[in-house]
Amino acid sequence: FFGMFKNLTSGRVLTADILAEPMARMREHLANKNVASDIANEICKTVAKGMLGVRVGGLQNIRQLVEQSMETALTRILTPVSSTDIIRDIEHAQQKGRPYTMAFVGVNGVGKSTNLSKVCYWLLQNNKRVLIAACDTFRSGAVEQLRVHVRNLRALSDNQNVEIFERGYGKDSATIAKDAIAFGASNGFDVVLIDTAGRMQDNEPLMRALAKLVSVNSPDKILFVGEALVGNEAVDQLEKFNRALRDFSGQSKPRHIDGIILTKFDTIDDRVGAALSMTYTTGQPIIFVGTGQTYTDLRKMNVSQVIRALLRA
Amino acid sequence: MVLNELGARINGALQALSKESVIDSKAVDALLREICGALLESDVNVRLVHQLRENVKKQINMDDLATSSNKRKVIQTSVYDELCRLVDPGVQPWAPRKGKQNVIMFVGLQGSGKTTSCTKLALYYKRKGMKVGLVCADTFRAGAFDQLKQNASRAHIPFYGSYSEADPVRIALEGVGKFRKDRFDLIIVDTSGRHKQETELFLEMEQIAAAVKPDNTVFVMDGTIGQAADAQARAFKESVDIGSIIITKMDGHAKGGGAISAVAATGSPIIFIGTGEHMHDLDRFSARPFISKMLGMGDLTGLVET
Ligand SMILES: Nc1nc2c(ncn2[C@@H]2O[C@H](COP(=O)(O)OP(=O)(O)OP(=O)(O)O)[C@@H](O)[C@H]2O)c(=O)[nH]1
Ligand SMILES: Nc1nc2c(ncn2[C@@H]2O[C@H](COP(=O)(O)OP(=O)(O)OP(=O)(O)O)[C@@H](O)[C@H]2O)c(=O)[nH]1
Ligand SMILES: [Mg+2]
Ligand SMILES: [Mg+2]
Repeated sequence: FFGMFKNLTSGRVLTADILAEPMARMREHLANKNVASDIANEICKTVAKGMLGVRVGGLQNIRQLVEQSMETALTRILTPVSSTDIIRDIEHAQQKGRPYTMAFVGVNGVGKSTNLSKVCYWLLQNNKRVLIAACDTFRSGAVEQLRVHVRNLRALSDNQNVEIFERGYGKDSATIAKDAIAFGASNGFDVVLIDTAGRMQDNEPLMRALAKLVSVNSPDKILFVGEALVGNEAVDQLEKFNRALRDFSGQSKPRHIDGIILTKFDTIDDRVGAALSMTYTTGQPIIFVGTGQTYTDLRKMNVSQVIRALLRA
Repeated sequence: MVLNELGARINGALQALSKESVIDSKAVDALLREICGALLESDVNVRLVHQLRENVKKQINMDDLATSSNKRKVIQTSVYDELCRLVDPGVQPWAPRKGKQNVIMFVGLQGSGKTTSCTKLALYYKRKGMKVGLVCADTFRAGAFDQLKQNASRAHIPFYGSYSEADPVRIALEGVGKFRKDRFDLIIVDTSGRHKQETELFLEMEQIAAAVKPDNTVFVMDGTIGQAADAQARAFKESVDIGSIIITKMDGHAKGGGAISAVAATGSPIIFIGTGEHMHDLDRFSARPFISKMLGMGDLTGLVET
């Protein structure tokens, strides 16, 4: 797509006019990579603004200039500013003698329960004792799903360091999480992983219930699980989950999403735009990337690879 | 469903055009820019959006259009037609026939809503007086059989599955065989989620299809899917004979444009829309009334009938 830009004469100063066409192309290029429209527009606007008045040097053409500026902007957006070292945080909690708690939240079917199980596997590899709290008390088979994972994980890691805490269906999930954390604390668990039911961001009763689970239990980390397949909805999902945590918490210092797990990364080829939409919207890091359906399919995000995929023709 | 929002924007753009005193190619470009922007925000495939723009442009040859009232009519009709083409492949949707044993196989990406929609569809036809059975041929996902079992039990629909058998082809065959023998009218086979990048998984799907020989294969797409929809839909189409599409999770904010792209990719019609997690949350879908409603028509219906 960049191939069609002609070279600029050296010494020329970039104007809004010169930039309009390449930026329009860039917006569409990003849309094709599955970056949400609003986000693509905003990023392109910022990048174009930064390029205004720049004097073109000897061998540069506009393609290289746009690409360089874009790369810088994308690196800034995608590089985490806060720490993503969960093991260190867990050890911190261990020193205080309490379990570290993580809640997995998100819309329906994105991979919360599966990736919770992958995180559990990773924690077991790091010699942590993990309790899985089955707080999806709504979706059929949700409890059995976690039971199977726990059985598999026990067999795989050849130890008894993982257990499930379940109270069946229909019960209040905030209370189950609370009981699970108490159980974890008195039984020497290092981590409690809280699985929650999927919910649409516009479903107010369910969003209120989630805000309650959070305010009752103050999990150490609220992980938003989002799938790389999602398009423009990524933005709305994240904004509304954050808004619900803020508006429905009834607390003076409400919580927000602390990090993201980007799932189904293996299903999208190089249309990696959701990674950008999600980090741009929240300013929070992608802590893990889900790359498949087995326990080992969990990775740290490779920022430069994502950027390369985003800019690739 | 927020498709109405998209409709409102397209409608707004069309109305703005009606207010223009001169309709020249600049006005048309502005209209198309607005419409295409709205479609991209709804996750419609970028290539399809391009096509729509080109087709409208081609259809409205500005020089040939004499009066400006005629121009408006032609432009609006052309936009309406192109939008219909997006969601209407022009083939009659398949429906199970009474007095015959019908087999439907559900396929789709992971977590798209297959298992949930299976029960919904089973219930839909059960209420129409058919004897319906559900087969769980997902032996991969943890808790898959429990999920189907609990859903089916709640809806009082007979089901077949196994906790121990690992071969989905075998279960599918056994389940369909059993329900056939028991003279069921409609047998719905649920399968695991899969994606084109794992060829093994597609092979498995082909084997299940070869074994149960479905009368119709339903492709289930999540209404929030973005630009990856097209490639996945194409791959599914190449691997099995997709006959119908169900778009799920349309009870939220999603506009469904990504999933709609599957129509062009598969040439198959959308038959139902999932509008919630409960078993009755399933709406029938038909393309043209849908577009009319989306555009809050009234003024346009009149135009189209002339
Ligand atoms: N290809 C692929 N599939 C995944 C990934 N993560 C999860 N899945 C699949 O996505 C489907 C849904 O996963 P779940 O973990 O049940 O999703 P969930 O968010 O817990 O779903 P609900 O609880 O129903 O809202 C399953 O088939 C998983 O195997 C991933 O990284 N890649
Ligand atoms: N809000 C809403 N949720 C839905 C709808 N259809 C399905 N779901 C939810 O989406 C999630 C995934 O649905 P499943 O039926 O398990 O999806 P699947 O395609 O069978 O998943 P795999 O078998 O893992 O590939 C569940 O939480 C369902 O309750 C819908 O129309 N609206
Ligand atoms: Mg779950
Ligand atoms: Mg399923």
